[in-house]
Amino acid sequence: MSPFPPPSPILGRRTGVLTALCAVGWVAACDDPASDKAPTTASDRGAAPVSDAPAPRLKRLTDPQYRRIIADVFGAEVQLPANLEPDERVEGLFAVGAATTSISSYGVEKYEGAAYEIAKQVLAGPALRDRVLLCDRATLDDVCVTDTLDELGLHLWRRPLSDAELTTVTDVALHAADVLGSVEDGLQYGMAALLMSPNFLYRVELGDGPQAPDRGYDDWEMASRLSFFLWDTTPDAELLADAEAGRLTDPEALGAVVDRMLSDDRTRGGVASLFSEMLHLDELDSLTKDPTVFTYMSDELGPSARTETLSVIERHVFDDDAPYSALLTTRDTFVDRTLAVLYDVPAPVPEGFGAIELPVDGARRGLLGQASFLVLQAHAASTSVTRRGMFVREVLLCTAIPEPPADANTAIPEVAEDARTMRERIAVHLEDPTCAGCHQITDPIGLAFENFDGLGRFRETENAATIDASGDLDGDAFADAWEMGAVVARHRQLAPCLTETLLMYATGASSLDLDDSLLDWHTAGFESADQRVLWLLHDIALSPAFRGHSSAE
Amino acid sequence: MKPRFPRFWLPAARDWRPARTALSRRAVLRGVARGSLVAVSLPPLQAMFNAGGTAYACDGVLPVRFGLWFWGNGNRPDRWIPGSTGDGDAWALSEQLAPLAAHKAKLCVPTGLDCKLDNTSPHGSGLAGILTAVPRSQSGPDSTLGGPTIDQVIAQGIGGDTIYRSIQTAASNTSGESWNSPNSRNPAETDPYAVYARMFGDTFVEPGADGEVDPRLGLRRSVLDAVMDDISVLNDRVGAEDRARLDQHLTGVRELELRLARLEEDPPDLESCTRAEAPVGDFGDVDGRAQVRLRNQVMSELIAMSFACDQTRVAAHFVTAPVSDVLFPDTSSGHHDLTHNEGGDQPQVHDITLQLMDCLADTIAILDAIPEGDGTLLDNMVLFATSEVSLAQTHSIQDMPVVLAGSACGYLKQDHHYRSLSGENVTKLLITLQQAVGMSVADFGDGAAAATGGLSDLEA
Repeated sequence: MSPFPPPSPILGRRTGVLTALCAVGWVAACDDPASDKAPTTASDRGAAPVSDAPAPRLKRLTDPQYRRIIADVFGAEVQLPANLEPDERVEGLFAVGAATTSISSYGVEKYEGAAYEIAKQVLAGPALRDRVLLCDRATLDDVCVTDTLDELGLHLWRRPLSDAELTTVTDVALHAADVLGSVEDGLQYGMAALLMSPNFLYRVELGDGPQAPDRGYDDWEMASRLSFFLWDTTPDAELLADAEAGRLTDPEALGAVVDRMLSDDRTRGGVASLFSEMLHLDELDSLTKDPTVFTYMSDELGPSARTETLSVIERHVFDDDAPYSALLTTRDTFVDRTLAVLYDVPAPVPEGFGAIELPVDGARRGLLGQASFLVLQAHAASTSVTRRGMFVREVLLCTAIPEPPADANTAIPEVAEDARTMRERIAVHLEDPTCAGCHQITDPIGLAFENFDGLGRFRETENAATIDASGDLDGDAFADAWEMGAVVARHRQLAPCLTETLLMYATGASSLDLDDSLLDWHTAGFESADQRVLWLLHDIALSPAFRGHSSAE
Repeated sequence: MKPRFPRFWLPAARDWRPARTALSRRAVLRGVARGSLVAVSLPPLQAMFNAGGTAYACDGVLPVRFGLWFWGNGNRPDRWIPGSTGDGDAWALSEQLAPLAAHKAKLCVPTGLDCKLDNTSPHGSGLAGILTAVPRSQSGPDSTLGGPTIDQVIAQGIGGDTIYRSIQTAASNTSGESWNSPNSRNPAETDPYAVYARMFGDTFVEPGADGEVDPRLGLRRSVLDAVMDDISVLNDRVGAEDRARLDQHLTGVRELELRLARLEEDPPDLESCTRAEAPVGDFGDVDGRAQVRLRNQVMSELIAMSFACDQTRVAAHFVTAPVSDVLFPDTSSGHHDLTHNEGGDQPQVHDITLQLMDCLADTIAILDAIPEGDGTLLDNMVLFATSEVSLAQTHSIQDMPVVLAGSACGYLKQDHHYRSLSGENVTKLLITLQQAVGMSVADFGDGAAAATGGLSDLEA
């Protein structure tokens, strides 16, 4: 979440309806969870609506994508610099940031350093070198340099190089070979030219131009879009072959290709990337927790919490093919010793992670009972009901929350005899009219998790007073965090929000550039397909918006 | 005499692109080839002239530098504002400025300056006001700074002659707030080892060193030529927003190319320049607490020597970020959390401000320890220390916290406290800073932040 959310009045995320109402009292508009549209089945949702596809934008490779591509193309042994250009979240997603932000001067410098580092390492020894050279090293000549760069170009630029482009990089290499007196050393410079090119650093998927493309993305562009959406890395040889054969612009053939991709293990990595981005799991690497307050804090906690969440999601999506909403209520999880101690459950295995079933008589279950959420959405030395509430609203339900007025006194009253729990202390936020409008949207949700401290450890009491975790979410009552999981699971905005997030993730488009009718159409399908994430991935991959068509064919 | 644009010994950036086979200037100087060229092709070393031929800046020899020193979450104005105004003994440091006592003679402290932008975004409006003087820009549902930050504005003026146009560093975990334009950040480097490698690593040439020109530098430039061609081709295919992004990318590639060209040159012969000490040790958190002070010291040393070696003339250093929730030593919660949730007079927040001013004192001491000409590096620069709010508790953007250290070659008053009684626009300070480094500017800022003219009371 950006430290600088937009000023109000807000341009809200699409499925969010609360934002404009924030200041005038939200309850009346939102207390009717039964106002859902009638369920639609995939078969009766009809053809995709006529709608504008989001305008194409260059997408800079994210740091993880860059690393994965280098490993895929050259080998996992290649060591890269610790830092490349940092990724920025826009609307909560790196995917949107990658389509919005620029490459800085320092970034250019880092990409140059990385390019030579890669080229040097790849050509340093036979293991990696033999993979890229298209001839025997002893016979490395101008022709082989040209062929090698041609083939590498296909993989790095995700399309064949034009004759002119190939000539340019080959000339760079051969000129360098002349100056340095070594064809192999010269080849490094040709490789660097490929790796520093905007054709590598950006995903250049433009359709037929800057306007919303009517013609759709071409086969090479589709290979790139599919590959980054589903695998979060560059197309493999098979996908490139599909592109060359024209299968990715043929709707019939495309379905089979997508099926094949979804059954490939790389989709597990892609889904991990997508949820990691959506749930901010990268932030678990830089936790700030006061170890004198949280004695269970350790360097392992953040990474362990991420592994837990991603493991649960992987099993849920791939092995169980279970409804997305059930992620909020599942008792299945994976813990290592660090998390077992935190959760006060027996460690299932002495080393690493093992599957467990959380007890039915506890408060902890589902995504919102996991440390990744409870630890991240808290302060350094305490919980934060507002942050936890905002996470549920913004990330899971796609509701934008305006920032507080700059002159608001946001102080939470100190602990007092008559105000020992957070609920009692923040009562003023929920009564003062300048605060209540927005804090009513977030804080009652956050209070549901007060039985978990800022590290996610269960507690019955706070300052010797019993914690009351009850409340209601848009009229749906809950007694504690356990019930809260079910309330979020059946919230009408849960499925539309994942649909919207995935469309943004897949296209790099801002939520404002997504067409309402298209969103509804995908959501209807997702709902009728029992909220199965793989089904939604498939549906979006075949979507007109994703393929760059303004309307259904 | 007010300094103007210093001009250093390199010809203007863009038109100096020797053919790849041309001999470098170093080779020329060694007499390998046409020595007669030397006199005409090179401006006299160590002399700076304006267009009229008069010498400028810092005894006519040394360039003027600019440093932004930023911390998050402001101050406690009631304990920050000195009780009296004027010069020398007429004013005394306040409680929160007391850590700077050793450097009082080189401080210029303006108070009472207000950010005039609508305070619609807590921490965001003040940041926009103090660093850009431009309202924030709405980009989709998110907003970003709306214009270049002051370090980039000044780099535009004085950054063109050095290997690095500007550098960005941080002493805590943040990307910093140096921006070229909306959605175009110059990310701050947080790793001291990376800053060292960049500024003083393999490519660094100590003054007087006489080495062979590495032919690889020219080859790297030939690669960049190919990259620039690719960018131009792509530029014709994309929409306006992507074109702006590609322009920024192209600027970065051009800067790198120029840097490589400059590395073929002899470095300027500056007496205080030596290769900086390599950082030693681990800068990670200790007991859950970031080592802000240590990291600030190490970064300050590297910035100071980068200035002394004229590697760059502009640095933006982010000790902590806006809204920083860094857990400082001896405090019970994160900084931002405490600014809102600590009661009473907020003794912990006050203590954190003192810790930050200790850091500022460290930086000033490091800059002031490097002799230059008749004075020190600090005398030949201005360090602009500031934050995005004054009282963070209420997100106040009135009476913005500012400390200036160094006189920018005699432009600014020293040992001086100026208090604006009329709540003048803080943009006027940004104008003064530009003028102090020799840029001629009268109007600056947009919308409610727009201002004309600097703060003449700060001028020596």
